[in-house]
Amino acid sequence: MTDLPQEPTPLVADERARSRLAMAWDSDVAYSFRRSPVALISTIVVLILVLSAILAPVIAPYDPFNPASLNLMNGFSKPMEPNAFTGDVFWLGTDDQGRDVFSTILYGMRVSLFVGFAAVGFAMTLGVTLGLIAGYVGGWVETIIMRVADVQLTFPAILVAMLIFGIAKGVTPVEYRDQMAIWVLILAIGLSDWVQFARVVRGATLVEKNKEYVQAARMIGRSSGAIMMRHILPNVLSPVLVIATISLALAIIAEATLSFLGVGAPPTQPSLGTLIRIGQGFLFSGEWWILFFPAVTLLALALSVNLLGDWLRDALNPRLR
Amino acid sequence: MLRRLTASAVAICAALPVMAEDFRWASTTDPQTMDPHAVNSAPVLGFLNNVYEGLVRRGRDMAVEPALATGWEAIGNGEGWRFTLRQGVKFHDGADFTAEDVLFSYERASSEEADTRSWFAPVSGVTVVDDFTVDIMTSAPNPIFPDSIANWMIMDSGWAEANDATRPDKEQGNYATLNANGTGAFKVTAREPGLRTELQPHEGWWDTVDHNITRAEFTPIQNPATAVAALLSGDIDMINPVPIQDAERLSGQPGVQVIQGIEARVIMLGFAQEADTLKYGESDGAANPFQDPAVRRAVAQAVNVPAILQTTMRGNAEAASQLVSPAMRGYSEPNAATIAYDPDAARAALAEAGYPEGFGFGLKCPNDRYLNDEAVCQAVTSMLSQVGLRPQLETMPVRGYWPRLREDDFDMYLLGWSPGTFDAEHPVRFLASTPNEEKKLGSWNFGGYSNARVDELLPMIQSEIDETKRQAMLDEVAAILQGETAYVPLYVQPLLWGARDNISLTQRPDNFFILRWVTVN
Amino acid sequence: MLGYVIRRVFQSIVVLLIVGLVAFSMFRFVGDPIDNLLGQERTLEDIERLRTQLGLDEPFLVQYWNFLERAVQGDLGISYRQSRPVAEILLERAPATLELAAVSGLFAIVFGIILGIFTAIRRDGWASSVIMTVSLIGVSLPTFLIGILLIYVFAVELGWLPSFGRGEVVDLGGWTTGFLTASGLKALILPAITLGLYQMTLIMRLVRSEMLEVLRQDYIRFARARGLRDKAVNFRHALKNTLVPVITVTGLQLGSIIAFAIITETVFQWPGVGLLFINAIQFVDIPVMAAYLMLISVLFVGINLVVDLLYFAIDPRLRDERSAAGGN
Repeated sequence: MTDLPQEPTPLVADERARSRLAMAWDSDVAYSFRRSPVALISTIVVLILVLSAILAPVIAPYDPFNPASLNLMNGFSKPMEPNAFTGDVFWLGTDDQGRDVFSTILYGMRVSLFVGFAAVGFAMTLGVTLGLIAGYVGGWVETIIMRVADVQLTFPAILVAMLIFGIAKGVTPVEYRDQMAIWVLILAIGLSDWVQFARVVRGATLVEKNKEYVQAARMIGRSSGAIMMRHILPNVLSPVLVIATISLALAIIAEATLSFLGVGAPPTQPSLGTLIRIGQGFLFSGEWWILFFPAVTLLALALSVNLLGDWLRDALNPRLR
Repeated sequence: MLRRLTASAVAICAALPVMAEDFRWASTTDPQTMDPHAVNSAPVLGFLNNVYEGLVRRGRDMAVEPALATGWEAIGNGEGWRFTLRQGVKFHDGADFTAEDVLFSYERASSEEADTRSWFAPVSGVTVVDDFTVDIMTSAPNPIFPDSIANWMIMDSGWAEANDATRPDKEQGNYATLNANGTGAFKVTAREPGLRTELQPHEGWWDTVDHNITRAEFTPIQNPATAVAALLSGDIDMINPVPIQDAERLSGQPGVQVIQGIEARVIMLGFAQEADTLKYGESDGAANPFQDPAVRRAVAQAVNVPAILQTTMRGNAEAASQLVSPAMRGYSEPNAATIAYDPDAARAALAEAGYPEGFGFGLKCPNDRYLNDEAVCQAVTSMLSQVGLRPQLETMPVRGYWPRLREDDFDMYLLGWSPGTFDAEHPVRFLASTPNEEKKLGSWNFGGYSNARVDELLPMIQSEIDETKRQAMLDEVAAILQGETAYVPLYVQPLLWGARDNISLTQRPDNFFILRWVTVN
Repeated sequence: MLGYVIRRVFQSIVVLLIVGLVAFSMFRFVGDPIDNLLGQERTLEDIERLRTQLGLDEPFLVQYWNFLERAVQGDLGISYRQSRPVAEILLERAPATLELAAVSGLFAIVFGIILGIFTAIRRDGWASSVIMTVSLIGVSLPTFLIGILLIYVFAVELGWLPSFGRGEVVDLGGWTTGFLTASGLKALILPAITLGLYQMTLIMRLVRSEMLEVLRQDYIRFARARGLRDKAVNFRHALKNTLVPVITVTGLQLGSIIAFAIITETVFQWPGVGLLFINAIQFVDIPVMAAYLMLISVLFVGINLVVDLLYFAIDPRLRDERSAAGGN
């Protein structure tokens, strides 16, 4: 499963990372963070990228998503060199449509980050809920949930994306179809990603639910829902947090892969992944900047998030400190 | 059982050592069958032209020349055509070629199961006069008939009967799907569908051998970047196509050449003309402005074709003025002028037509059918936006594209058309005639363009023997289509092949790769 | 025990049936196979006729039922694109994918374990930090880009390795292998790295954290205290205890490698089942897509089943906690 969101479960000593999140956050984790240059640098990089994505309309010199503003004759301008026809200069050059690469990266990152956060949020909510229920309730409910997870694992995200795309086309009102592709990506990536959350949470719940404090809560008559939310959930959150971080990086990359397979963000509103897909077509033609700058941005983003995930895993695992 | 044997024979061949005059070439699509009558598609017919032959064939300049027939003449006042067959021709398995094979191949290629059936719609009957003379009768005079059968390939009747393949079988497949037995310059010696196909010269071929190939291997390579890498690294001797953006740089690389030409395919924009409302309008039931020829003309003025040719096509294509390219028979010289790029005129025309604020609509586009199709549609989208229109672009793989067009799910769309007969009559029949299922007309006229005069002219063009009169009628049709801006022709798609520089070859405008014209130096 | 096994097998069959159901419900959204089967001069009538012939006008439930009926008799249908039995095509393509998967799995295990041990022992060394960071680069770029970059560097610029395909293969009674020729072996290198990179990073990290964990255990401290040399401690005691979870995870990942070789095979034009599947999507070859998905789900469900049964066999009380034990 090299291509699409993956279970980083084995990376994590999940069930062992049961440190009390809140407590750890206050002391140990914060301490470890201050002492880790990698974590610090990664955080700074992520913050810069996220901020510049959010502020894209302010920072970017052009609005590449407005087709009326593009001049095709500006196409393939080299970085920092005036265009042969129009004389315009672009910092990082332009792509085949005459879009400023720098602005397009900023806007594309908005799309990628939005897809990434939304997909992981969706997968996390779905996975944690189903995992809690499966682990806590057990019996046939658990069987059904875990077998549905098996079914899910079988389907490559591309097929899920196509299925949702087809259905969405049928039910979306015409005026919303422009944004439809983005939501399809979120659903598709989220759906192929929830299983790992569910499995980890289920495993942790199984361990947690037999502990004295849960037994005690049950004894005093707390409802199942309350026990799951108040007692079990906080205790299984740290592995979830680690998975979520790594999933974020994977989701952003998965979006690029889907674009390569032809199920990506619309070409008029490209994401970082779509830019890379378009750019790889120019690898042999000499227009290196169309691929290079988006790829480096994606690398910086995904690498920083992954490094943060790495550090978080170590930091939340008390026995590794 | 037989199939399994073939499969293992194939694999053993794969282990043979590489020889000096080995030639390896790649393209994006694998010919899906070896049966020349099962599928009427360019990858199949182009490939099988190396293996099978017709009564006539096309030369390097596309002109029709004798192949299995040495000559032909019209019978009486155009009741049909008499073909004199070549003697001493052998099929790959050693069987003799006779008039019986022609009759059999007619029956096979015109059968219900055959995809090539439509070629024989004008034919009323085929008679074997003697072993080397065949009469093909047509229901009406048909001046271009010999031109129209250049891809009708002759199969050995005895071989087909012995292998239970007397009819093509597209669904289940039969012996002829995986094996071939033609009279052509090359025989298929190994076939692994989707992976590789190996050809070797046919020793007993009737014509002079111009090539020096001892073994040729075809591999489909889907990812364009991989194909370019394979050519650069010398793993492949020839690729078709070269991605447009790579052409210039590739031709500058040592060891590699780019062969460039103009294809028969015209890329154009089409409109939903029949629909009363827009499918993707900004309000429900918004009236369809594309019914107004003035609006369609404004679209033509708004699209900066020279910029597309310059940037997106990198100077490799030519602007188009009509539905066929100048290389086609029946091209209309009087209508060769293209509509000039004039955004101000377009804006003014839109205002005059009642759309000073423009309007929103849906533009549909394939993203894996034509060269740089998605990029062209993006460029068109921004150009139309600049005159105040608000196109909503949706691009999709071709597997979902045609169904969408058939369901009328578009306001404007991109289409490429390559006339199978290399004649201007072809697009009139398929794109400009009022759709009529019974008469099999207008089957690709998705927008439902309709003009009574065009419909009236088409049958007259089809049966006119006098070249001048025929051309006059074709000119009239071209003028009508231009006057009403039925379609907006954009450009003629380029042909771009890449080869190692020790290869000499000939590029034919129909994009067929003819192996017998290849020399490895 | 028997009851559990029967129940589990029954569940697996239900899972397979549902996979098929979902698959068949989505095929019509992939596209329309008809246009690929008919030429330019087709009429709408031809389209309708072919649609009826292929049974595409039936509701998808009927299509699914027909597929199941034939599948239980061992008939997976006939490919629209290639006009020959799907089972035959799959058997022809399987060796390429299995060999690629095996080599990339081996690559991932060998390098993953070596680098994992190294980074655990030298936990605070700069070399470890570099390895940990660099290995993340491999998983921070999309696979297709890594593949294309590898081709660019090693096939085009350096000319060391072939740019696509399997090289020469030798047929061993129906199984084609690339292991027996030099060009076959060379052709394996780039795709195997591309496909195995992710798993390698995964295993490396797993080995590292398991090693760190084990090295802190009391008996290791005791061994050290007893005066055993570092090397002996590291390898004899620590590594041995690390390997159990590593093997479990690797086994589970092998299924994923096979199932998701799609991108790698597309980039390298590797003639395996993944490429077959991508081509099937391109041409909406429903019988091939259906058979491929069923095959992959058999694989996943099968591996899951075996793992569950193994856990059950070892200790019935543990079986509910298998997920918690670090596996799938």
